[in-house]
Amino acid sequence: MALLEVKNLVKSYTDRTVLDGVSFELEEGEAKVVMGPSGCGKSTLLRCLNRLIEPTSGTILFDGQDVTRPGVDVRELRSRIGFVFQNFALYRHMSVLDNVALALRRLKKLPRKEAEERAVHELHRMEMADKRDAYPAALSGGQSQRVAIARALAMDPKVLFFDEPTSALDPIMVREVVTLINRLYLDNVTILCVTHDLGLAKHISDRVVFLDRGKVYAEDRIEHLLARDADPVIDEFFGGEG
Amino acid sequence: MDAFPFLADLASYWPQIVRGLRDTILLSVTITVTGLIGGIGVFGLALSPNRLVRYVTQSYISLFIGTPLIVFLFLLYYGLPNLGVTLSPFVIAVFGFTFNVSAYNARYLTIAYKELDQAELESARAQGFSLSQVFRLITAPQSLRMSVPALTNQAIQNIKDSSIVFLIQYIEFFAQMQEVASRTFLFFKTYVFTALVYLLLVSVVVLAARRLERKLAIPGLS
Repeated sequence: MALLEVKNLVKSYTDRTVLDGVSFELEEGEAKVVMGPSGCGKSTLLRCLNRLIEPTSGTILFDGQDVTRPGVDVRELRSRIGFVFQNFALYRHMSVLDNVALALRRLKKLPRKEAEERAVHELHRMEMADKRDAYPAALSGGQSQRVAIARALAMDPKVLFFDEPTSALDPIMVREVVTLINRLYLDNVTILCVTHDLGLAKHISDRVVFLDRGKVYAEDRIEHLLARDADPVIDEFFGGEG
Repeated sequence: MDAFPFLADLASYWPQIVRGLRDTILLSVTITVTGLIGGIGVFGLALSPNRLVRYVTQSYISLFIGTPLIVFLFLLYYGLPNLGVTLSPFVIAVFGFTFNVSAYNARYLTIAYKELDQAELESARAQGFSLSQVFRLITAPQSLRMSVPALTNQAIQNIKDSSIVFLIQYIEFFAQMQEVASRTFLFFKTYVFTALVYLLLVSVVVLAARRLERKLAIPGLS
């Protein structure tokens, strides 16, 4: 059984439909990339999956549980999903260590010492332990991304969501983050990554879900997508990079 | 006192002056603390997901920012006895100021809130924090730290504004100095002295406020 099964997911607002019957699956240990033109609903999709945005209809099965049914513990669901935001979204008034330890202390209710030890462990894993006392404002984009990943991993999530992880980075840092996410993938971390970065997709993904105007236009291995001949939607998005 | 003939004239009134000063400081500190607590509470309500709560809260803020404090103090002091409720001038002063200062502090915090990175709040919710946890752990600490200059200016304003409570018979420093002036007929000297004492009080708060601003500044932001 897949870790995540999305069936016919719809998100509509009064004036438009952002997701129009999206279905796909994510297996445990798999890395899947969601790509597509701007405004195709990629980020909305991620936010519907952890119920930051309420889907209009459809079913989301996470770890065998229907998380769209009424009465589901949304906060518990979110704590099992690591979410790394586009602009890192580190808490600016807290040190790096506190950023990573906060949820461990307040959600997992670990004693401060234990939470900090675990936070330091994750920071070590991301090679950021030496910056534990720094504040987010003193970090580079790549360093902030590492802390954001450490913060997500500290909660021992079943899956890691990335929302455009390289869009706020310069090319050198993009390479660094691509390597890092690839390493997570090789470590068997289940990943669902929204991106328009072909380089990132090539490095980390088993398969790509290609969204267009709120629908799954195609789902395939990236090399197969790039090899598609005379597909105007794919061609326009990849700009002939295939 | 000989070196300060100016002060020597007031010497026999020292106990009265010191008592007034003590009462001014007591009132100022009290309303600064209650106004800060109230302001945080009102700020929290202003961010409520419930539209009606937000509307009522904004109306409260607009009402108290839009009306002179003295009107509310008179309403409580002269109006409440009509309803059979009689409170001491100090209690009325604390209530009146707290309602007023809370509205101003809530407005300062709301302005700071608009500068927050909304992605941080979304990120906290994505981690599994409840709305009240997001408020306590992220929104309130950041808004408070970013509002320190405005909040400390309000504390200074509280010291100065506290002088109006003599109008509801709370005998604080300014009221005591009025009495000293009317007894001694040394109006010029007495009011110069009064102004200097207020300046000294405010200066102490300003120095403390600047230290607090430096200490609580969010690195790389403030």
